[in-house]
Amino acid sequence: MSFWLRINMFFRSFFLQAGWNFVKYQNLGFAFVMVPFLRKVYQYDPEMLPTVMLRYLETFNTHPVMASFCYGAMAKQEESVAKAKSVTDYKEQVAEWNGARRGLSITAASIGDRLFWGTLKPFTLVMAIFLWIALGVNFFEDMGPEYTPLLSIFTAPAAAFVVYNAIALYVRWKGIKIGYESNESSCFGLTRFDWNRTIYNAKRMGIFFAAGLILFALYRYFRFIEVDIDFLARAVLVIFFVCISFITRRLRIPNVYLYITSVLIFTGVCLF
Amino acid sequence: MTTTIIILCTLAALLELDTTYAFQTLVSRPIIAGPLLGLFMGDVLAGVQVGVFAELLLLDISPLGGIIPPSGVVATAIPLILYSQGIELHFGFFLGILAAICYSFFDTFLRKTRFKWLIYSEQRIGRKPADLWRILIMSLALSFLMTFVFISTATWLCTQVMLMVTPLISAKVNFAFHLAYLAVPWIGLATLIPTFRLKTR
Repeated sequence: MSFWLRINMFFRSFFLQAGWNFVKYQNLGFAFVMVPFLRKVYQYDPEMLPTVMLRYLETFNTHPVMASFCYGAMAKQEESVAKAKSVTDYKEQVAEWNGARRGLSITAASIGDRLFWGTLKPFTLVMAIFLWIALGVNFFEDMGPEYTPLLSIFTAPAAAFVVYNAIALYVRWKGIKIGYESNESSCFGLTRFDWNRTIYNAKRMGIFFAAGLILFALYRYFRFIEVDIDFLARAVLVIFFVCISFITRRLRIPNVYLYITSVLIFTGVCLF
Repeated sequence: MTTTIIILCTLAALLELDTTYAFQTLVSRPIIAGPLLGLFMGDVLAGVQVGVFAELLLLDISPLGGIIPPSGVVATAIPLILYSQGIELHFGFFLGILAAICYSFFDTFLRKTRFKWLIYSEQRIGRKPADLWRILIMSLALSFLMTFVFISTATWLCTQVMLMVTPLISAKVNFAFHLAYLAVPWIGLATLIPTFRLKTR
């Protein structure tokens, strides 16, 4: 796969979900990413392209970043399909292509969901909040008319953006190459990285930072307060919500519903 | 004022595309979208606060499989637009969260109905693969337009509701909304540690 072809697929990969629908999920985007490669493979047999496209328009659903492994692997498999010498061979290759597409998309989705949504996104959130607090951006309570430089404000979101995208873009770019160069024995390159260890380490770091952040937030929330009724009211509020949040999480009730319920309960209590 | 609102709605609709349909660089996550919208609105700190609160509150719902979480952009944009019109952040945030939940149902409906014309499109792609570009651009434009319409309508509705209700809101109700708003970061922070648990549900 040439460098320019890889670049083309890389930029197209940002539109994988442009045609997301509930029946075939990312099929349109997947076909869109693969078109340049298919054009190259079938350049001497362009009549085949519409038939091949129909295969790419079948159900496809995976994590948008980890999908890069699928592009590379599917490209490699498509080359084998295009080289089939007989109808039986062609059918076998297509069956193999289908199996690889299904298996790889599920595995990649599982890794991507755990790594990007489950770990990296909350990790960069903790990092951003830490930076804001460290730079003296007061967002935690009622804001006064104080002046905060724009640089301090935008440093944290910029850092979160850069950290997340540095990893995501690296995986997007490398995934195409690794997927193309690997075979089934290495799960089309997925086993080249120790995903479990990466996720484990990132989560460990995340717990450490999250605990630090909570302690830091508690310190900032209570530092100027003497032990009086205001202090007790705040302490009760914090402990109550932390405990309730743990319980609702166990019951799998999303936080938004906890917040809406709190608004309704507080309003009810205040009114009556 | 109207120009600012239109700019904010347009920017929010553009940012919402990043959530699912294009790029996924997470520029649409509330901690980034909040300060950006706040900058356009004229109060960056309000943008930061709403952004952090919205992200912490929506942290526990991920877009896994076919799940469509409440929109972080809608939850951030609506409070800020309402705030620019003089409505308190704690009321705006509550309405923004409700609108974000409604948007997830709206988006689900859109994605379900979209397939009807996508079937026709697939047949066209089968005949002419070059048409993929046009179909995807059309799909993106439609998503942008629908989001813009949703955010504008929701903002207009919320503004009208608040204008009607504000004279009736007592100091006690105001206090209740404010208290619940201040509890948001604690609800979110308590979720952060379980998020990093090694065995996730």
